[in-house]
Amino acid sequence: MDDYAIGVLTNIALFSFIALSAYLLLIAGEMSFGQQAFFGVGAYAGGILTTLYAWPLPLAALAAMALGAVAQFLVALPTLRLRGLHFAMATLAAAEMARILFELMHWRREIDGELAGPDGTQGFRGIRWIFEHGIEPLHYLGIVGVLLALVLALFLMIERSKLGATLRGVGLDPELAASVGIDVQRIKLGVAAAAGALAALGGVLYAHHNTYIEPRNFDIMLGVHSLAYALIGGLGTAFGPLLGVLLDIGALESTRVFHGYRMIVFGGLVALVLVYRPRGLLDERTVQWLRQRFS
Amino acid sequence: MIADLVQNTLDGLSAGATYALLALGFTLIFGVLRRANLSFGPAIMFGCYAATWTHVNFGAGLLLLALITVSGAVLAGAYVERLCFAPHRGGSAIAAMVASFALWMQFEELATLIMPRHLYAFPLLYEGDPLALGPFTLRIDALAMLGAALAACLALWWTLYRTRFGLAVRALIEQPAAAALAGINVPWVFVRVFALASAIGGVAGYLVVASHGQITPMLGMWATLKGLLAMMLGGLGSLPGAVIGGLALGLIEAHTQWYLGPQMRDLIAYLLLFVLLAARVPWMTTRSAS
Amino acid sequence: MAKAALLLIVLALPLLAQAQTPEAQLRCESTGQDFVYDCTLMLTRFGRPLEGAQVTVGADMPSMPMAHSVRPARARPGLKPGEYKARLDLEMLGEWAIKLRLDGPVRDLLVLHYEFDSKGAMPRKR
Repeated sequence: MDDYAIGVLTNIALFSFIALSAYLLLIAGEMSFGQQAFFGVGAYAGGILTTLYAWPLPLAALAAMALGAVAQFLVALPTLRLRGLHFAMATLAAAEMARILFELMHWRREIDGELAGPDGTQGFRGIRWIFEHGIEPLHYLGIVGVLLALVLALFLMIERSKLGATLRGVGLDPELAASVGIDVQRIKLGVAAAAGALAALGGVLYAHHNTYIEPRNFDIMLGVHSLAYALIGGLGTAFGPLLGVLLDIGALESTRVFHGYRMIVFGGLVALVLVYRPRGLLDERTVQWLRQRFS
Repeated sequence: MIADLVQNTLDGLSAGATYALLALGFTLIFGVLRRANLSFGPAIMFGCYAATWTHVNFGAGLLLLALITVSGAVLAGAYVERLCFAPHRGGSAIAAMVASFALWMQFEELATLIMPRHLYAFPLLYEGDPLALGPFTLRIDALAMLGAALAACLALWWTLYRTRFGLAVRALIEQPAAAALAGINVPWVFVRVFALASAIGGVAGYLVVASHGQITPMLGMWATLKGLLAMMLGGLGSLPGAVIGGLALGLIEAHTQWYLGPQMRDLIAYLLLFVLLAARVPWMTTRSAS
Repeated sequence: MAKAALLLIVLALPLLAQAQTPEAQLRCESTGQDFVYDCTLMLTRFGRPLEGAQVTVGADMPSMPMAHSVRPARARPGLKPGEYKARLDLEMLGEWAIKLRLDGPVRDLLVLHYEFDSKGAMPRKR
């Protein structure tokens, strides 16, 4: 496989993590404009741990996920009873605050005679754990792919379980869910923590793939893109967000067919598809139909 | 000290005037449609770029550029309304808002395709020296902005309180169900509200670009963020609130930037919004999104 | 003899402590075709030109991570020692993070920031 294909596939896999995190919140009924913040938290935390404190990547990734979960939990706690645009704006405000905090963060240590670590708006360069441990791009793609597959398997298991039905119930009608005894607040907090961990996992993997991160990477465009991918792909299955990412980064971008005006095409496509399928291509009805056809 | 306070207040009010206009545009759309239009800023940017293109290729006077900006914004707004909001009326709010974001991406790429450079000069509103009033300086263009914003607000007030259309808009904002039952042609009002909001946004955009003397593709996102922030600060869905929110945002920004720098300025604005939302301050939750 | 050895060791210590990361400078010119640039890379290490490296040049946009798939270009050696040439096909104008993968005598990863306009590229201080 050539470098280009490896690069594209890795980007697709990495973006899928944050798209899935937006998707998780969407099926629980919340639209978040802020997942990019937790992606960034994972990226910075993971990068700092491996680069400045020589933690092994797997451990750093776990720590990054935990931090992402805590961060999103802390944002969700005061905003539990917000819905719709109010909730979205709260997540946006929190995410922009996080980005500005990244701009203000200077955490430098001397490693091998050179200063390393996040340097505010200058960014955080030299996240070389992958490189220093001789992991080739193809191997890294394998690692990221396996992790994504595990996440998808987890999603599919939950979707078929009672928890999955509960989540969707809360998403569609929280009042009804509460009236049948579901602790809506606890569900929402749990979903928030899981989404934060998921985005953070994507972030730490992204940071090590790119070897360089800066606050600008984690701005609103990333967050709203992930939301768009999740919605256009479809809210019926965890493969929906993947489809969204594949459509844009995979099909439109890599085939270079729409070189130079891909976003015009993709944007128009999203708006058009949503007219006929407001819950995406692989929406609940389509997934149901597919299950019946192939069961 | 006092001089700084007054100067910052003056600067803050003139910036706040543009924010107020942006917030008014957002609020008109939100108040009537109960959805946020994420393409509001980008549509304005489309109008501004249309004017820039005209200026770069043909050269044009201030008034003509203002007209082009407003017309461009209204045209772009109509496109957004048709594709993102009309199809989802009564349907999914999330789909409408995500669709509006998708069109935002279109506008941004269109801008970079037609005008590929990152920065273009735009004719300044006023090229002379600022007025000196004792220890304070008053920029003429800041005065012009305040004046234009005031004029736009008056025009809006007249439209809302002195025309049948305005009555329909207010009815839809206050009592949507009753208004529909009373026979108001809701889709007709929606389309016109969108045009009105886009026009106001166009005025705001023109003022911003003409006072800075330059335009970049970041204008779209900037206008959307400031408009949303100002709208939410002033109380979602309230027109007077939009004006107050805009002015307040301008004042808060001017003062925090002076004492704490640009990053703290933004941080504090977002923190304030977050805290107000989390505290579920009553004026912020008067109207919820459907 | 011992003194000479000691002197050598003392002189060599700064070399050991010094970072071994190569330094790179990029010069790009537009080929006239939309967003395609001919780039000349100058690699040095310890102040001397770095020859014989296999260089792959990739690019990503800081403001839109993972969104662009620029085909990585294998650089071929240029005329001068330490010089490498590559053709970059970018998607749009603006600031790009150029990623250099070095293989061969030196293995390393460098990230440089350049602002690309219609004529060429200018370094961005980061």
